[in-house]
Amino acid sequence: MGPELASILYQFGTNAAFLLLSALGLIVILGMMNIINLAHGEFMMLGAYAATFAVHRGIPFPLAVIVAFFATALFGIVLERLVIRRFYGRELGALVTTWGISLILAQGALLLFGPYMPSIPIPGGAVSAGAFSFSVYWLILIGISIALVVALTIVYRATSFGLQARATMQNPTMARSLGIRIGRIYMLTFGLGAGLAGLSGALLAPTTSIAPFMGQQFVAPAFITVVVGGGANVIAGAVGSSTFLALIETPVSLTLGTFYGTMALLVMALLIIRVLPAGISSLGGRLKLAAAR
Amino acid sequence: MRRLLHLLNGPHDLGRGPVFWSGMALLGAAFLAYPTVASSFGATNTAYYLLNIPMALGLSLLWGYGGVLSFGQVAFYGIAGYTYGIVAGNLTDVAWGTPVAALVALLMAGLSAAAFGYFVFYGRVAAWIVPILTLVLALLLSTFLGLTAGYQWRVGTVQLGGYNGMTGIPSLQIGGISFQDYAFFYLVVAVVAFCYVALRIWLNAHRGQVLMATREDMLRTELLGYDVRLEQLRAFVLASLLAGVSGLLYVQWGNYITPSAMGLQQAALPVIWVAVGGRDSLLAAAIATFLLNQLTYVLSSSGNQSALVIVGGLLVAVMMFSPDGIIVGLARGRWLSTLRGWRGTARPREATNGQ
Amino acid sequence: MTNTDKSPTIESVAPVETLSASTTRRGLIQSAAGLAAAGTVIGRVNVVRAAADNPVKIGFIEDESGNLSIYGIQKLHAAQLAVKEINEGFTLAGGPVGSGCLGTMGLYAPTSPTVTSGPGAALNIINDGGQPSDHAIVTADTQEILIPSGEKGLLGRPVNLLSSDGQSNNTLWQQLARRMIQQDKVDVLVAGFASAEREAIRPIVDQRKQLYFYTNQYEGGVADEYTFCTGAVCEQQVIPVMQYMVEKFGPKIFTIAANYNFGQLTAAWVRSFAPVLKAKVIGEEFPPLEVSEFSSVIAKVQAAKPDWVMTLLVGQNQSNYYPQAAAAGLHLPMASTVNMAQGYEHKRFTPPSLANMHNAVNYMQEIPTKRNQQFVARFYKMFPKDPYLGQMAQNTYFSIHLYAKAVRLAGTTDQTKVRRTLEAGWAIEAPEGSVFLEPATHHASHFIRLAACNDKNQISFVREWPMIEAWWLQRLGVNLVRHPEYKQYTPAEDPFFKMFG
Repeated sequence: MGPELASILYQFGTNAAFLLLSALGLIVILGMMNIINLAHGEFMMLGAYAATFAVHRGIPFPLAVIVAFFATALFGIVLERLVIRRFYGRELGALVTTWGISLILAQGALLLFGPYMPSIPIPGGAVSAGAFSFSVYWLILIGISIALVVALTIVYRATSFGLQARATMQNPTMARSLGIRIGRIYMLTFGLGAGLAGLSGALLAPTTSIAPFMGQQFVAPAFITVVVGGGANVIAGAVGSSTFLALIETPVSLTLGTFYGTMALLVMALLIIRVLPAGISSLGGRLKLAAAR
Repeated sequence: MRRLLHLLNGPHDLGRGPVFWSGMALLGAAFLAYPTVASSFGATNTAYYLLNIPMALGLSLLWGYGGVLSFGQVAFYGIAGYTYGIVAGNLTDVAWGTPVAALVALLMAGLSAAAFGYFVFYGRVAAWIVPILTLVLALLLSTFLGLTAGYQWRVGTVQLGGYNGMTGIPSLQIGGISFQDYAFFYLVVAVVAFCYVALRIWLNAHRGQVLMATREDMLRTELLGYDVRLEQLRAFVLASLLAGVSGLLYVQWGNYITPSAMGLQQAALPVIWVAVGGRDSLLAAAIATFLLNQLTYVLSSSGNQSALVIVGGLLVAVMMFSPDGIIVGLARGRWLSTLRGWRGTARPREATNGQ
Repeated sequence: MTNTDKSPTIESVAPVETLSASTTRRGLIQSAAGLAAAGTVIGRVNVVRAAADNPVKIGFIEDESGNLSIYGIQKLHAAQLAVKEINEGFTLAGGPVGSGCLGTMGLYAPTSPTVTSGPGAALNIINDGGQPSDHAIVTADTQEILIPSGEKGLLGRPVNLLSSDGQSNNTLWQQLARRMIQQDKVDVLVAGFASAEREAIRPIVDQRKQLYFYTNQYEGGVADEYTFCTGAVCEQQVIPVMQYMVEKFGPKIFTIAANYNFGQLTAAWVRSFAPVLKAKVIGEEFPPLEVSEFSSVIAKVQAAKPDWVMTLLVGQNQSNYYPQAAAAGLHLPMASTVNMAQGYEHKRFTPPSLANMHNAVNYMQEIPTKRNQQFVARFYKMFPKDPYLGQMAQNTYFSIHLYAKAVRLAGTTDQTKVRRTLEAGWAIEAPEGSVFLEPATHHASHFIRLAACNDKNQISFVREWPMIEAWWLQRLGVNLVRHPEYKQYTPAEDPFFKMFG
């Protein structure tokens, strides 16, 4: 029973970590800035490419991941300055524009770098328990995804940048009149979101093949996780939704196969969005209300 | 009849008055005369640019006039196409098989839109959720249909075909006319013209005005006594029927349909066409659909690998400099003020409290 | 995150019309119509050679950009090589069997093949690194396959390759096929990588009665009067590799197949043939094409404890299985019919992800025969930067040469006559070996070799079957010469597939 349980837990953990990592950058950009960023997958692709370039030039993998974070963050800042800032308040304009950007990025990567790049070997080996063996790297990824969420929460709750950013998101006019430079906050927040997407892409790069359209596999999981999580408390919501969706997906995948697991995830997402339009995180508010009565 | 003409000439689209309509008549005549100078290949190719117009008109109706963005148009495009393939493939020995199949296909598209729309609109979800829900619907359908490769996945004698798609779909045949090549071109022109005229009349009539009121201020419309959910559902079903018409025309064009016609990339295309043209004008949506499809084909078929980059760049440029859409912007003479306005100081919408 | 889509201004209210606006609009509409008329004729194709008066046109559509471009570009280059050779006056040896070529299985063996399985055996085989190999068995064959054709070009006319990029977009494929058939009026169409692409253009091919070559490996079953499938099919690849694997590693099989037509149908073959080989498929998994995270699949494989794994994974996302499985410590022997020979995974992935992978292939660039090494040298002389020369590229190469030979024999490019001539029972000396085009089924027999990949991503060939026919359609009773058909058969229509389970 022990190894089987470990295997089930491991699969649950990897499914949840995959959802959380896919959603990480989008938590900031969609969750906090309300920009429907259809180029999210391509940001992750950029991070993966940056890390791959770095690794193939001899930079050790952990450092390459940091490089990817900063490279993508920089790219995000430039994009924000040039394009995205025109679309604040115009979500659907942002949607269409970011779709165009994703086309440019993906096809541009194909034209510039060709149809594939040599992949990064997965670091770490395997540990076994009974008949099952688990990839050490995925175990590390599960830990890293939790750590990243914690770090993001700390940034937003305990740093002055976080305070300013929250104030700006809540009431820009007030924030501005208090002396916060909201233009800079938006720029840095978008850069942070882009950087996080690039970071996730770099972290997930060894597990996937490096190709120009690799970002598309992350777009649907990312959006579903963030939307199901809801806007009341974006970070907690995303953690909650990735856990919950993985809880649904894992047993279905185990018993009926990966295809039905994916279908179950999509159907469950549809139902939750319909029943709880403000997402899972709104449950927290409702519970508080109920407790207060 | 006079009332219809009056409605047709109503204000809720670009262009009205005798000058405009004579221009449109000239355009129509040009299209009708086109097959005399074009090869059958040219005619079928142009027909392809035209057949997506009903879907774009539907999205323009739903989004531009109704305020509801749906990524799921392609889902109903696909439902209609597949249903036609199934029914027509099973009724090959029946004389009126293909027209019956066409009707059944439209019926299916409408019914499934009604069911899904009920699920969405009667829950009073926020407006920005609808695009995501409809996108998930399109993804669900395309994923599911991709599974159906085995022989057990068949309806009657027609196999669904999985990712390989459903091939060999019979062409529409009414009486002795089989709608291929030039006949197909005329069919498409007729259908597109009919859809445009009918939609324009509808929009200028009472129901259309109510829909636009819904877009502008939902609470006010409701307080005036209208059932907003019903209006949105009605628009959704109408838009999906139009998407179904496009799907039907598509399988006539290629005798083939595949789940990727409902996938992620395809789902964004109608939104792009309508956004670039101008979503609150039927005419702009139609023109943009035609031109963008043509541009994509011209670029791609000449071996140009940067077709996607160019389309993407065009999109970004349009959204930045002409956010109402190129054609609407041009028509309303707004491009000057838009240029001035793009340095604006808009900011992201506020998040709710609690963060 | 609550927001509603309201335009920030009141522009959403319909504007009042002005005369100047309508003039601009009408002008716009008219110019749009003009653009429409002009646009449908614009669109040049890539032409390999300058057009002469009446060239023979070979229409070619592949994905040169997009996801499948690593396969498409190889095929395009192989086609260009073939056309260049035809125009320079060369052809491949071959003809209707007995009419002057060696034909299938008629190989010279000036030195007897050496089977090695122990120390002290004589070696005259090298692996692709040029080193003597103690794993490769090969039938020695020194026949020259590229011979003079007696004329430059074809029937006194130059040959033009009209190639177009399908960009992995089904609609564009249909448009391009239409254009090539109806507007460019190509004499033969060579197109298609994925089955979906083939099925997208087959209706048009059938409507216009266009001669069409599909040169890709696929799941089998296409019975179409106008289509010739020269790629390998399941009975030529699945059964040999299964036989080897069951013999070497054991009878318990776990299948992981892509969840779409090719994967499901090939898995059906594996399932139905296992009992014949006294093996058993103890588990199956069908991950969808978009899935790139395989931990649950890997766990299932580990739980089932098979002797070997049949992997039928297709596409970029699914090829992630290999590094993930290796990282998870899953070191079972693997067999496939798709990997290495077309997507050159053994060159793209870092070792040892593909360790212990086996594939029954009709062609790989590493095949050490003289005829192949000369072909490889010619290819890389023309395309020095290409990363790999794979199975489908070679199929395209010999198919185009085969077409040229049929045209020469028919004396015309009239498509019906050439089609009938192609049913003469052709054997052609391809770089892989002798290939026979079966008249009734329009499919090709192939020289099959079992390629094994070691943990340094090196290939060796450990067994070979000099000729395996594509017999499945024969068993289904397909005879396109006497009874034209236009469909694709699936295993479920064949009662044999349920006989031994």
